[in-house]
Amino acid sequence: MKHIYKKILALCVMMLFVQNLAADEQSDLKNRFLDKINEVILIVENKKLSKDDRNHNIVKSLTPMFDFELMAKLSLGNTWKELSKENANRFVDLYVERMKHSYSAKIDAYENEKVEVKKIEQPQANRIAIITDLVSKEDTLDIVYKYHKPNSKEAGKDEWLIYDVEILGISILKTDRAQFKEFLRTKSIIDLMDALAKQS
Amino acid sequence: MIEQPSQSTSQKEKQNSKYDDELEGFGDEFEVEELCDPFNGYNRAMTIFNDRLYEYVLKPVAKGYKYVLHVEARESIRNFFNNLYFPMRFVNNTLQGKFYYASEETGRFVINTTIGILGLFDPAKVHFNLDAHDEDFGQTLGFYGVGSGPHIVLPLFGPSNLRDFISLYPDALLSPIDYAERSYWSLTDTWPEYLGVKAFEKVNYISLDMDKYEKMKRDAVDLYPYFRDIYEQYRKKQIEE
Repeated sequence: MKHIYKKILALCVMMLFVQNLAADEQSDLKNRFLDKINEVILIVENKKLSKDDRNHNIVKSLTPMFDFELMAKLSLGNTWKELSKENANRFVDLYVERMKHSYSAKIDAYENEKVEVKKIEQPQANRIAIITDLVSKEDTLDIVYKYHKPNSKEAGKDEWLIYDVEILGISILKTDRAQFKEFLRTKSIIDLMDALAKQS
Repeated sequence: MIEQPSQSTSQKEKQNSKYDDELEGFGDEFEVEELCDPFNGYNRAMTIFNDRLYEYVLKPVAKGYKYVLHVEARESIRNFFNNLYFPMRFVNNTLQGKFYYASEETGRFVINTTIGILGLFDPAKVHFNLDAHDEDFGQTLGFYGVGSGPHIVLPLFGPSNLRDFISLYPDALLSPIDYAERSYWSLTDTWPEYLGVKAFEKVNYISLDMDKYEKMKRDAVDLYPYFRDIYEQYRKKQIEE
């Protein structure tokens, strides 16, 4: 009987430990996220920089926290597997370039907004979602940053990487996936790449 | 030296195959369900029509309008319209059992109509910290499990779906801006009047954030499925809340 108690106790301690570990992981990531935001705000508010320099610095600062390559692949869905190596590489490059441009354009609109972390969720061991509010004078935008932890860390990249952003429930990745799918129904991947090239 | 580029390609290849394993883990999360889209052809045409309407009519008009009217006045006009839609928000909050929100809406209406001079100002938010809770009949139906049905793009109003389109009727009965025969007061009596007021509301709304549409449009490679997906995802989120 005593044995069972010991086992249960051991199990409880272990579970507590695992939970603590997860909590640490979450707060670490949250701190990194907030540090990054502050870093970007400092760049945005630096009036000495030209607009191009500013955007370049922002993209440089944000790149390590995003898994643009994974986003590019997920945005194509099953079509991704059918691409030739050459097209696959070109598509990733174009998608990443477009993402960076899109981000720069969004940051241009930034005006004294504040980021507040509302909640952190960890649906799986290797997935964390940071749920935030972007508070401005006018209203509040609900933005979710979805992170995953790749099996092996890549040089120059963070341990946890963002693979999707949801703004007011609208997932960037899902939207791209839907529009690319419909686009490819009537046109070729080459057309899609040309269209992407035009956007950056 | 000639070896160099081929080496970097093989590295990239290795990276790609590493990702292929990882992609499997994301499969379920982004599986796009086959949308039933019988009005695809019409919707595409209407999306282009709305886009042109925006570019060549609404935007230039909003630009001129913005120039003559101060931003505070335009904000007041928006507040005025929002205040008029109180009955719709109240009824739909109540129908969904969100009684606290309905009471907050009532508080807003009473305060803004009196102290806020017919809804031109929003003292309820500024001084009483009462938040607006947008709910329409489409959300109410969604709340009770009614599916969205096929997507329909409406002229001037933009993306919608069968459920939300049908819901415009009960919501219109609760709105003082409508052209249907009624035994009670409404601001507009005929449909040209209605369309005029609605267009004015839209121009006023656009003038408050001129780049909003462009900002959204920026990332579209195919306008129709892009806006369709944004609309459906946004509605889903609104219904879940």
